[in-house]
Amino acid sequence: MTSGAVKLITAAVLAAGVGGAAAAQEYPFRDITTAVVWGAGGGTDSINRMIMAEMEKHLPVSINVINQTGGVAGSNGLVYVMNQPDDGYTLVGLSESNVTAAVQGGWDKKFDYWYPFIVGGSPDLISVPADSPYNTLEELVDAAKAEPGTIPAAASGAGSIHHLNLLAIQNGAGAEFLFVPYQGSAPGQEAAIAGEVQLVVTSLAEQAALIEGGQLKPLAMLTPDSAEIAGTTVPSAFDIYDGLDQYLPLMQAIGFAVHDSASDEVKGVLGEAFEQAIASDVVAEWAETNNYTVSGAYGGEAQEIFSTLESNFAYTLQELGATEVDPASLGIERP
Amino acid sequence: MEFLLTQLSGFGGAFLALVVDPLTYIYLVVSVFLGITFGALPGLTATLAVTILTGFFGNKIPLDYSLIALLGAYVGAIYGGSYPSILLNIPGTAASAATAMDGYPLAKAGRGGEALGLTTTASFIGTLIGTLALLVFVWLLLLLSKNIASPEKALLALFGILLSGTLMSEDLVIKGWISGLIGLAMAMVGLDPLLSEPRYTFGWSYMLSGFQVVPVLMGAFAVPQIIEGMRHMELGQMVQLKGRILPNMAAIRRYLPTIARSGVIGTGVGALPGVGEDVAGWVSYGVGKTVSREGDKFGKGSLEGLLSSETANNACIGGALIPLLVLGIPGSPPAAALMGAFKINNIIPGPTIDPAIILRVVAIMVLASVTMFIMGLFTARIFMKILRIPQVVFLPIVMVLTTIGSFSVGGGINDLYLMLGVGFVAYFMNLMKYPIAPLVIGVILGGLFDETFRRSLLISGGDLSVFGSRPVAAVLLALNLALILSQVPTVKRAFGKLRGRFA
Repeated sequence: MTSGAVKLITAAVLAAGVGGAAAAQEYPFRDITTAVVWGAGGGTDSINRMIMAEMEKHLPVSINVINQTGGVAGSNGLVYVMNQPDDGYTLVGLSESNVTAAVQGGWDKKFDYWYPFIVGGSPDLISVPADSPYNTLEELVDAAKAEPGTIPAAASGAGSIHHLNLLAIQNGAGAEFLFVPYQGSAPGQEAAIAGEVQLVVTSLAEQAALIEGGQLKPLAMLTPDSAEIAGTTVPSAFDIYDGLDQYLPLMQAIGFAVHDSASDEVKGVLGEAFEQAIASDVVAEWAETNNYTVSGAYGGEAQEIFSTLESNFAYTLQELGATEVDPASLGIERP
Repeated sequence: MEFLLTQLSGFGGAFLALVVDPLTYIYLVVSVFLGITFGALPGLTATLAVTILTGFFGNKIPLDYSLIALLGAYVGAIYGGSYPSILLNIPGTAASAATAMDGYPLAKAGRGGEALGLTTTASFIGTLIGTLALLVFVWLLLLLSKNIASPEKALLALFGILLSGTLMSEDLVIKGWISGLIGLAMAMVGLDPLLSEPRYTFGWSYMLSGFQVVPVLMGAFAVPQIIEGMRHMELGQMVQLKGRILPNMAAIRRYLPTIARSGVIGTGVGALPGVGEDVAGWVSYGVGKTVSREGDKFGKGSLEGLLSSETANNACIGGALIPLLVLGIPGSPPAAALMGAFKINNIIPGPTIDPAIILRVVAIMVLASVTMFIMGLFTARIFMKILRIPQVVFLPIVMVLTTIGSFSVGGGINDLYLMLGVGFVAYFMNLMKYPIAPLVIGVILGGLFDETFRRSLLISGGDLSVFGSRPVAAVLLALNLALILSQVPTVKRAFGKLRGRFA
């Protein structure tokens, strides 16, 4: 036997041995990687970096957070993680905006491909520029009813959570605005301050600084509860228009997910670490300062939330003519 | 006055935070050194230095620190270009081409040490003038920019592309515009910003996110530079350096008006969208030659000529950052790379940019110029040794760095194909004397133009008068038209005649 062959066999035996040992090891025995599908510094990225740092404290290994951006509705990152083994060592950091990836042609899976963990989201609200003639939601809606489709309203891109909230308020209040899409919330808010649009729908986390700075005037929360912002009470739109609960609330759902096909052991370990992390003071403090609402839903409960979001987003986009793939062909049910 | 005081105190705070952080110095010293090296090696430019660092640091370290690295390299590289200009008569970067005019004759006359000392001081003062302008004007503009809505943004973006095309062309202005329009067309690829409809994607999901800025930057600026450098080796005779490198304080005092004038010119040129340090150096040199009493000595070893170009090209940096931070319109090609760094960090420069970032940028600029000054005076001999490294050694290394940098931004292997594709196209465009900077500016501003132009029409209900009825928009529209008309032959002739009649 040549020495080359000996080496080869030794290597094979060693590899098999390590493989066997690995199978017997308890999860997790090596570092976990979380691939965030949105860019560094954004909401989903910073939330994942925070929650992963908390979860690390309850796991024997470290968690590395990387970014895999691009594609449509973050599809590059989704596909990247999908192609990794479902052993729980690669997680995907995502948000509600990813549920449109399938109908927009980014990938071909329904969202229940994932087993999600929802950290939370920030509630949406409707605001007008500080010097706007409208002081209440009723005044704004009445003006829109008088001249339908003329009052420009800013929200980030067609099919975003903020756009869906705008559509919901239109349907619920029976008014029609002129939807003007922006690439993200910040440019939409800038446009409202510059007077280019007369109202803007974005999240409280994104608007808080501008409201405190007196540049935007909040009219109504698009959640069932009113909120205290900069010393004033912002009423809930639910109290102003009955029947809004038929369309709302549509809340952001930011968090991460593991393959749904992962073993129960993996799901159990991650779930336990997630529960402990969500209960920590760090998360509570972060939510408080950044105007987020903590969710903590995971597994089946979170899948249900995402499935509602998915059907809402998918069929709204289809009505707007912005889908590449028929949601029904993916098995997404009508809301 | 009160405004200025708040500004200064804000700056003081940011500066202090920077100075007490030990990490600052690690990033700063390394990046300024790297910048000067890039600038000093002929064939490697400031744009390349900032672009490569964007690839490496952009999304790996917090933006606060990557800004130190990027700005440090930017300041260092613009200054570093003066070494080969003076010692070899080969400009290290296009920005110091004008420096060679007087620097090399000085070195041949045995005054190389004095020349280097002066360029070091001039670069230092120039950077500070540009930075001061940045600190003051950014805030004035930010106040104004609250009135800048979609129509103005669309016209500004168009103006940036056209102006960059006009001023960066070597021969025909139309070539610059063609280059800009190619960039504009490239910016159309991907999901359309208003309706989320895919455009020119040919059913390929990679194309849905459009052409990414970093691979395009790398392809446009790095690849042609490297091919060109490998094909045409420039060998200059290094002039023996005599005398110590010390700033000649008497000369500095004597030419203080020249330095101040050049600083203002450099800052102004920098603030023009898409026009960079090379133009600043030449414009300032040209103005100096016209207004100076010693104008006839320019080109024969005039200290004033040296100071004119070298102050202006560094002052240009601060100027170039003004439109970048206020409007998201890069003022120079390296600023375009900085824009890429902001983008991958999800920070959108514009009216609602966090003021803390602006103050930090100003503080970094000040610290970077001091670092550059000290390094220039004490470690100049090292850079002269670096100058002796043959291009066949460092260009392949740079190619590898470029590739890694482009890949590491996170778009996958396709980003590399994009980089190479853009690189080869850019190389042939270079051969045919089409400027590349307008193409990159077109890619960066094209998306902004497309989005804001169509949004303006969406809000106005398709009424084109929205571009003329708003005061700021009307002025910008007039500027755009003037720029285009100035190149139409019949208009040119008519103007020529008019001038003839009045002269």
